[in-house]
Amino acid sequence: MFRFILRRTGSAVVLLLVLSAIIFVLQAVSPGDPVKAYLGANASPEAIAAKREELGLNAPLYAQYLRFIANLLHGDLGQSFRTHRPVLTDLQSFLPATLELVLFSFVVAVLLGVLFAVSGSLRLKGGALFRGPLLLLAAAPPFLLALGGIVLFYAQLGVLPASGRGVDSSSPTGFVVLDSIITGQPDAIGLTFQHLLLPGVVLAIAPAIAIGRILRSSLDVTMSADYVRTAESKGLTPFAVLRRHVVRNSIGPGLSMAGLQLGFMFAGVVVVEQIFSWPGIGNYLAGSIPVSDFPAIAGVTLVLGTVYIVTNAVVDILQVAADPRLAA
Amino acid sequence: MTALPEVGTRRFRMPAASLGAHAGTRLSVAILVALGILTLVALFARLLAPYDPVQPIGALNLAPGAEGHPLGTDSIGRDILSRTLIGVQVSWFSSLIIVASGLVIGGLIGVAAGVFGGWVDAALMRFTDLFLALPGTLVAIAIVAALGYNLQNTLIGIAVVWWPYYARIIRGEVKSFAARPHVEAARVAGASRTRIVFRHIVPGVVPTAIVTASLDIGNVVLLLAGLSFLGLGQPAPAPELGADTARNLSQLLSEWWVPVIPGLAVLVLSLLSNLGGDAVRTLLAKRR
Amino acid sequence: MTDVATVRDLEVSLVRDGVRSDVLRGIDLSVRSGEILGMVGESGSGKSVLALAMMGLLPTSAQPRVGGTVGIGDTDMVNGRPDELRAVRRNELGVIFQDPMTSLNPTMRVGAQIDESTHDSAESLRLMTAVGIADAALRFTVYPHELSGGLRQRIMAAIAVAGRPSLIIADEPTTALDVTVQAQVLDLLRELRDEFGCSVVLITHDLAVAAQIADRVAVMYAGRIAELGPTEEIIHRPTHPYTVGLLRSRLSLDTPRDRRLLTLRPETASAAERLKGCAYHSRCPLAVEQCGVEQPPLAPAAEGTAEVSSTEHVRACWRSVSDVQGYTHDTLDAPPIAAAPSSGASDATQPAVLITGLTTVFTLKGGGRRRRQVHALRGIDLSVAAGEAVSIVGESGSGKSTLLRVIAGLAPATTGRVQLAGRGAQMVFQDAGSSLTPWLTVGDILRERLRPLKLDRAATARRIGDSLEAIGLPETVSTLRPAQLSGGQRQRVALTRATIIPPSVLLCDEPTSALDASLAASVLNLIRELRSSLDMTVLFVTHDLAVARLMGDRVVVMTQGTIVESGEADAVIRHPEHEYTRSLLASVPEIGVLS
Repeated sequence: MFRFILRRTGSAVVLLLVLSAIIFVLQAVSPGDPVKAYLGANASPEAIAAKREELGLNAPLYAQYLRFIANLLHGDLGQSFRTHRPVLTDLQSFLPATLELVLFSFVVAVLLGVLFAVSGSLRLKGGALFRGPLLLLAAAPPFLLALGGIVLFYAQLGVLPASGRGVDSSSPTGFVVLDSIITGQPDAIGLTFQHLLLPGVVLAIAPAIAIGRILRSSLDVTMSADYVRTAESKGLTPFAVLRRHVVRNSIGPGLSMAGLQLGFMFAGVVVVEQIFSWPGIGNYLAGSIPVSDFPAIAGVTLVLGTVYIVTNAVVDILQVAADPRLAA
Repeated sequence: MTALPEVGTRRFRMPAASLGAHAGTRLSVAILVALGILTLVALFARLLAPYDPVQPIGALNLAPGAEGHPLGTDSIGRDILSRTLIGVQVSWFSSLIIVASGLVIGGLIGVAAGVFGGWVDAALMRFTDLFLALPGTLVAIAIVAALGYNLQNTLIGIAVVWWPYYARIIRGEVKSFAARPHVEAARVAGASRTRIVFRHIVPGVVPTAIVTASLDIGNVVLLLAGLSFLGLGQPAPAPELGADTARNLSQLLSEWWVPVIPGLAVLVLSLLSNLGGDAVRTLLAKRR
Repeated sequence: MTDVATVRDLEVSLVRDGVRSDVLRGIDLSVRSGEILGMVGESGSGKSVLALAMMGLLPTSAQPRVGGTVGIGDTDMVNGRPDELRAVRRNELGVIFQDPMTSLNPTMRVGAQIDESTHDSAESLRLMTAVGIADAALRFTVYPHELSGGLRQRIMAAIAVAGRPSLIIADEPTTALDVTVQAQVLDLLRELRDEFGCSVVLITHDLAVAAQIADRVAVMYAGRIAELGPTEEIIHRPTHPYTVGLLRSRLSLDTPRDRRLLTLRPETASAAERLKGCAYHSRCPLAVEQCGVEQPPLAPAAEGTAEVSSTEHVRACWRSVSDVQGYTHDTLDAPPIAAAPSSGASDATQPAVLITGLTTVFTLKGGGRRRRQVHALRGIDLSVAAGEAVSIVGESGSGKSTLLRVIAGLAPATTGRVQLAGRGAQMVFQDAGSSLTPWLTVGDILRERLRPLKLDRAATARRIGDSLEAIGLPETVSTLRPAQLSGGQRQRVALTRATIIPPSVLLCDEPTSALDASLAASVLNLIRELRSSLDMTVLFVTHDLAVARLMGDRVVVMTQGTIVESGEADAVIRHPEHEYTRSLLASVPEIGVLS
């Protein structure tokens, strides 16, 4: 177990290095000039030369990469062309909103996925009425879902807000739900929850189907296993057979798919945040793309990529903790 | 035999044969015919489009059903039907190209790894797993952002992160076929190594590869639309489904059809390709 | 004595691959208190479906339609409420399935799985000891994969007897196990009956297994009972042509070695034709017109014949008992097989196979850096003369298949060497179906073997046609794919591939173990004929001593990667020298010579 954690952590570190190398190479070939980001377009040639020297852009490539890594470790992600602020500062103010949205959405996705799998596998009455529309929605591009949601729940019914978090993001931790609880403001909880609902569900649909399908097929396989027949031959009730023999043996694939999807959601969040004007780093990225703000794009890629890699490593380790046979 | 009652002694069912074994075949063929028509429409989109997609030719913001503009016009008077048709062309063929690239690159790597085994396999699969463990969409975004925004770069960006999935699956299939008794039997019968690979292993992998690819097209359609929505596609006047939605977002609550229709076109494409993937799987499973 | 289970007019139809078929077609049966009832039938006879129907566990996915009744206690397992059925399964029934590995939950400790039935760990421990598990307390907390096959089946037995059932249903409980373990499990079943006083329904494809412990035997054919009676009667005075055929085609340690093996006629009728009249009529050598039209009822066999001593003996056949038994005696003499070239004559020549100091070590990758070494072969010396036939016998893990694979060049020799005579070796695999490439036609597969000869198209086609014909297949099969052939035809195609250019040595890796008895016998006949007509050396690997004796001039016994005994076939069987050979022989289920 300990060995496995060590091995998995090691491979995550390697992945982070590779990701950083890719970003470094892309930065080198990208047309934008980092010097101008600091000095503006009208800087004098002398000032530019001095800044180039200061940023180490005249050093050999390997030295530049080492410096790039060193900078990363110090939290220096460069300067945004658009906001003219350090990318790190920008990200720090936007990350909590993204985490809050993704985690909320993940919970929704898992709930929907489990419902999808169980209703299908146990042939619950009316289950198809739930699964059919969900499958249809999953084929739609998320931006279309978002627009549909806004038209229906905001414009037509007027029950849900269409943009923002409802509260000023500059609260103590940046996690407004958490803050509302800490500071004891029940109204704020309701308000922030309302704002979370639409983007959260839109982001959850595709992962829910992915989780649901894999869980469904592993449930089906498990239920036709010989040992389940043995359990039934013992005269156990259907519920006892499920709880004692089916759940544990079928949960594995669902767990790892859930981990994978959590990772994917950190990429999918970009579009959703933009449409709902959610003040997270996805929205920040979406704003950086049209103006070719490469340092910002690279920064977001690195941060979300790191979250993705770490998430997957943690999920793998949790899975092995649940089923030690997988460590081999 | 007399009429027999259905017994219901078991609460749970084993996996259902997909969809329904009998209805399956006809439905699958119908879906594939629909996909064929879609491909033809995409192929001849320029001919079918009633107007030039980038030229303003009518009144502004006409609602769908307007005379001469069945899907209406946008805020500067361009014909939405024409733009959508061209958008479908771009989106559909781009998706096919990406899937084909994944199949070819992943196929070569997968077959090589599976056939040679040993250190070749280990090296190729380390490389593949590395790419598989990276956040693909984000890396694709970063690549396009670094190379510059146009369709070609978008395709490059996605292709770079898309093949590992195919390499993994195909390598696994090659390995499993290589371990089957009929391959050993061919070895004993004296078949050469190349002959074994191309006659006794690869033909067995083809159906899985085809099913994998056809089930994947819908994913690519959605990813391309998403990147296009973010602006990582062709520059402004060119018609593109995702971008046309993004550029007209502000009209959502006044003239909803302008941003929504391109999105609906994406939905149709992705839905049809998902159904097509299931259809291909059903038909191939029947053949075996 | 009361009956613990009563099956009345049971009919079951199931959907398989989208086609509904009648699997059970009117079964009447009573299981008496304290008896062991053997249910014997070939694959597809419906015996396992009968077991599931008795438990009320027919798979819903097969959309079962059931008619008739299965009474256990006061409950009808066909029409009862789900909670009633569960109560019966809990209190009245115990089950042992074929494969104990897949029938136990892999993520649950075995003790906990017994506890589910006993609700009392102390009782579970007692039961584990009762079914012969030593150190029960230690084994209570292990997972199924940590136990051997025999121990796993004992765990299943402990679960089966928990709750003191009145009936245990054992569905092929020994098929997945090695011979020596099989014997132990059969003994265990008898002990359970004696100790717990329950009845046992033992389902098996092997008449000899049933004959070992059953009080009564029911022979099933195509969803009906062909014959039912006391074991002694069924074995020694069978009254149904199918039972006679089964007994005659069964290989035993006494089967004459110099004669063709007797086989049942292969099935030629379509499924629809079989449903009219007696299902066996198209294969039956005694069939008369009535057999193809009207289904015979199950009636007492004692129609005044002195030979049938018991009124309990019932049969479903239009022909009279004396007709059937007369036939039995008529066919005792089978035609002799062509004499094999005598191995003595070729003493002067080079041996066909010469193996010296052969060891093979496999390295298995364990978790992380751990690697486990498996010594599959530990120093094998074997010389096989040209034209000789040698049988290699052993249980799973003995290294017998590895030895064959090394000779064929499919597995590496770690040390030592293998020398083969000029025309090399060809191999026939255990599962003929999967040894043929599924997407190639029979013609493609055979042409591949002929490539080195560089024949022109016409000559190739002629050669293929001739070879197929010689082996008893029509030339037209060369355009078919393996899936379109029957199991026996596939094994013939595999044999054609191996012999279309006759090799010096033919390697056979359990080529008949997946086939029904009669089909197996016909394949064995074929191999023996090919051997003499093509003048080949044969190395025949099997786990079955009776087959080994028939197929080899010499028998070689292997265990744990070494050869422990080798000698002339009948000498090894009659006078085994090594302890291991003796234990193998003692475990072979035998039913004795037919009277």
